[in-house]
Amino acid sequence: MAPTAFLQRGFHMKKYSDLEYLRLSKGQKFAYRLASFFGGIPQALLGLLLGIGRFFKKIGQGIGGEVADLVLTFKNGDWKTRISYLVMGFGSMARGQILRGLLFLLFEAVFIFYMIFAGGHWLSMLPSLGKIGPHEEYNPVLDAYTTVYGDNSFKILLYGVLTIFFIIALIFTWRVNIKQNKISEQILRSGKKLKSGKDDLRSLVDDQFHKTLLALPLTGILIFTVLPIVFMILVAFTNYDGTHDGYNNSLFSWVGLDNFRTMLSWSGSGVNYSATFGEILTWTLIWAFFATFTNYFLGMFVAMMINKKGIRLKKAWRTILVLTIAIPQFISLLYVSKMFAKNGIVNGILMDLGWIKTAIDFWGSTAHSGLLARVMVIVINIWIGIPYLMLIATGILMNIPQDLYESSRIDGANAWQQFSKITLPYMLFITGPYLLTSFTGNMNNFNVIYLLTGGAPTNAAASGAAGSVGFTDLLITWLFKITTGPDSQYYLASVVGILVFVVVAVISLIVYNVLPSIKNEEDFQ
Amino acid sequence: MASVKLTKVKKVYDNKVVAVHDFDLDIKDKEFVVFVGPSGCGKSTTLRMIAGLEEISDGTVEIDGEVVNDLQPKDRNIAMVFQNYALYPRMTVFDNIAFSLRLQKVPEDVIYEKVTHAAEILGITDYLLRKPRALSGGQRQRVAIGRAMVRDSKVFLMDEPLSNLDAKLRNQMRAEIILLRQKLDTTFIYVTHDQTEAMTLGDRIVIMKDGYIQQVGTPTEVFDMPKNLFVGEFIGAPKMNVMRTELSRENGKFFVKPFGVKLEVDGAKGEALAAKHAPTGGVILGVRPEHIQLTTAGAPGAIPCTVEVNEMMGSELHLHVVTEDGTRLIVRTPTVDLDAAQRDALSNGSRLYVTFRGKVMHFFDPATEENLLN
Amino acid sequence: MNNQKRHMGLKASARISNTIIYVLLVVISVVWLIPFICIVLQSFRVENTWQVGYVIPQKWGWDNYIALWNSDFKRRYLNTFIIALVTAALQTVFVLCMSYTLSRFRFKLRAGLMRFMLILGMFPGMLTMIILYRVLKDLGLTQANAVPGLILVYVASSAMGYYVSKGFFDTIPKSLDEAARVDGATRAQVLWKIILPLAKPIVIYTILTAFMGPWGDFVFARYVSFGTSSGMNVAVGMYNWLNLDQIGQRYTMFCAGGVVVAIPVTILFMCLQRYYVEGVTGGAVKG
Repeated sequence: MAPTAFLQRGFHMKKYSDLEYLRLSKGQKFAYRLASFFGGIPQALLGLLLGIGRFFKKIGQGIGGEVADLVLTFKNGDWKTRISYLVMGFGSMARGQILRGLLFLLFEAVFIFYMIFAGGHWLSMLPSLGKIGPHEEYNPVLDAYTTVYGDNSFKILLYGVLTIFFIIALIFTWRVNIKQNKISEQILRSGKKLKSGKDDLRSLVDDQFHKTLLALPLTGILIFTVLPIVFMILVAFTNYDGTHDGYNNSLFSWVGLDNFRTMLSWSGSGVNYSATFGEILTWTLIWAFFATFTNYFLGMFVAMMINKKGIRLKKAWRTILVLTIAIPQFISLLYVSKMFAKNGIVNGILMDLGWIKTAIDFWGSTAHSGLLARVMVIVINIWIGIPYLMLIATGILMNIPQDLYESSRIDGANAWQQFSKITLPYMLFITGPYLLTSFTGNMNNFNVIYLLTGGAPTNAAASGAAGSVGFTDLLITWLFKITTGPDSQYYLASVVGILVFVVVAVISLIVYNVLPSIKNEEDFQ
Repeated sequence: MASVKLTKVKKVYDNKVVAVHDFDLDIKDKEFVVFVGPSGCGKSTTLRMIAGLEEISDGTVEIDGEVVNDLQPKDRNIAMVFQNYALYPRMTVFDNIAFSLRLQKVPEDVIYEKVTHAAEILGITDYLLRKPRALSGGQRQRVAIGRAMVRDSKVFLMDEPLSNLDAKLRNQMRAEIILLRQKLDTTFIYVTHDQTEAMTLGDRIVIMKDGYIQQVGTPTEVFDMPKNLFVGEFIGAPKMNVMRTELSRENGKFFVKPFGVKLEVDGAKGEALAAKHAPTGGVILGVRPEHIQLTTAGAPGAIPCTVEVNEMMGSELHLHVVTEDGTRLIVRTPTVDLDAAQRDALSNGSRLYVTFRGKVMHFFDPATEENLLN
Repeated sequence: MNNQKRHMGLKASARISNTIIYVLLVVISVVWLIPFICIVLQSFRVENTWQVGYVIPQKWGWDNYIALWNSDFKRRYLNTFIIALVTAALQTVFVLCMSYTLSRFRFKLRAGLMRFMLILGMFPGMLTMIILYRVLKDLGLTQANAVPGLILVYVASSAMGYYVSKGFFDTIPKSLDEAARVDGATRAQVLWKIILPLAKPIVIYTILTAFMGPWGDFVFARYVSFGTSSGMNVAVGMYNWLNLDQIGQRYTMFCAGGVVVAIPVTILFMCLQRYYVEGVTGGAVKG
């Protein structure tokens, strides 16, 4: 076959009908499904892009609709409504809904107060991140030059972001306030009565109960997760580090995409960040793959052994394994790490037994890219991970309908066939989403690596770009090392963090879009 | 005790699927109305909109003249029995039944009176201190009904209350619901997919399909005068026999010619067709299995056919027969007049002759599937 | 021959495979227990505070535990205990609020909110430590005041871990809520009177995991305590003992500390294991 013909066939993959598919040989079926899987990826990505497009279109349309509604409400509204455009809550109060109105007004007052006395200042400084840095100034009292501190870039960035959050909140509340006016007018026009403040309070434990329940948790997430993430994303576009800490030594400022350019360009001057990044990313993916699947299959295996009919002391076996979950990881992992140290127990015993002459340097050997240490962390991770999987698999195994096994036994299936045709597909189907989260969780598994090896053994070739880098370092431990390293290159850590996010998001999206077994959450209800 | 009025009620889900279209219905005080239809027809959704568990997308629901669209379920003064009983697992039977009264802060001795009274009616006095999980399906259903009973509510809603019970228990509970209804003397709205329940319980039946009301009427009305083919086939068991044929008119008399046998549409049906000036030509003819009679060769209108399956139901036989042109018919014939020899003559593979009279025929327009006599 | 094999009793083949399994299980159990046995044994070693190449101590004694008692360990232990207790209580409230809401209410922004939290979860949490530290510092909640600071940070975002709990609520039939609402209960009463009594397993699971979390955190806790001994938790203190300059004197003390930390957590865990297993299993199945 000419290569071009083959290519064409590859691109226009033949779609088989069900009956045609059934006639294919085993290999053909496999190839067909493999091709469909990978053929699905571009489509999934395309779908994603289209989805993003639709999302923005929807937002655009939404904003357009909102503006049109605002204009219409103003045109058709009465004077109470119109005044509410300036004085929030006026309409509500004028119509007797004092409580609502007061809350709106209070929010507006707080906002104005904040903007005048603080927000305005932070916002105006945000584009420059501060003008006057720390400098020497003559102090007539001491008759000497002393350091005078100026602006604080860190605070400007933080409170600037906070102020923007506040403005968004105000716009949203303002919009709600106007919508309220419109609805109230409609209700009054149809001759019905408005809700009283008492009704409002009552609805907070009834039909609006979800707002009550979500208020605290969402505020917490907003301030302690969203705000820091936005801040750290922004840091990636500055030169914030140990020597530009924004207050004590020097201001930091916006640098645009410079940091990303440094990190991703292959031809960096001097140090090559991208090579280091690539190397660590590769190991991170290898690690995540092995950490996830060794645990998955071995855990399932152990669970099946314990759950086998006729095995006694099921509870005792389980309890022994589960000990590793109960004991905090920093104790168990740190201890195990020391057990395998050069002067640790393992080496001591092996030498006493005469099996080895010199101590094995489990964490220090750089041979074959630190292969020994890499294998060791995966093996020790099995020790940590199997109990979880054992528990999960036990729960699922007990849910597999027994008649499946009974009917397969009558059909003549042996133990392996039962496993591969019933148990495994069932497990994979049910745990599909879990496998994904477990994979991404392992990519960010700081504890195991940091406590066991701290990244060792040192990878001399990759080090230097941003502090010392080890062969077992994951992106997440590298990120940590960057921030705690000599220069505290926070901007670089942010870039790494964003890249980690991108990798995790892309993997998740592909899996979500291509795997058929990941089900709609509503299906479970 | 109250009337319920639904005006142009509509349910549109977030994904733009319309579950109920312009539902209009006037339920009189103390009436027992049954919503019936295949699954997904919107009957439960309608009930849940009346209960306030589902938002009403459009139109109004009035209970006793008051629009309740924006009222919470608890403020609508309704009682409801759920398909899976929805008993509170951690409460005893007594506490389950007393729950709504306690929320209303009714004094405990009144609660005691009411709960024990309801328990007596339902025959669950012995189980008052048990937890739901220690009860059988039938007993759980009684508790669920008891919970609804003590509320003295205006409207009694039941969402497929018997479908989780086995056949025998279902028959028994059906009878008990009829008794209960006589005792409570309030408005009932009952949802089911089972036409037998609908026919036996309802003062009026609302037959639904794909979110549209197909017909509203008394059991007799929907049985005798199905508005369209769907209603004709849905009501009655086994299903109505349906065949395509020609309606012709000679000398003022109407004839149909199924399976090549010419039958006269005699009696009132013929007159009604004439009064309606029914158009001749293609028609869908429907005949209920119990309206087909066994006859002998040579008798007028005798249709020859072969027995394919003979189902002995005890009091009657269900004969699945095949006519000469291959159409399958179901014939329901009582066993009381058949002796052993006659029954043998109806065994699988034997030939027999059937016929039916004009008054039992139903005619549907082949295009719209509407009854020609509407 | 073939026939003989066919007629080899079910019992006999089961006995063979069961024996193999028992052997494997014993091996696995030994491997799993060795580190814990070692740590306990070494905590009683008196003759040398260094790490050594043998397991059984040559001289036994309580010295390490006494040294522990005389060190800052007491204070750190108390710190951690307080943090764990308060975090467990508050985090449970947060998580239950979020998960119950997402399971039972269908409001406009629900799907968007869930997607948003999923995306937030893809950012490495490590990244936000620097800023959280600075915020706590501005609030005066670091170093000596690290305990309330740590509680604040642990609890504030904890509702993002709502998945397991929501999965549990999803399994409680919605008709229970509906029946109660028809019976005259407000949404709040439904939660309080109907759902919460049924949610005992998930409440205990949430409390248990929330309680266990703070014992193991040393990265962020180290930031926040920043060298102030009275603000440290056990993990930070003990982590420092294994630094190169301290490991010589503190290695066996670390072992003793490990035992003291592990005992209450393990006992609690073992008592409530049933609920933990339910939660973990349910969580994985629900995704």
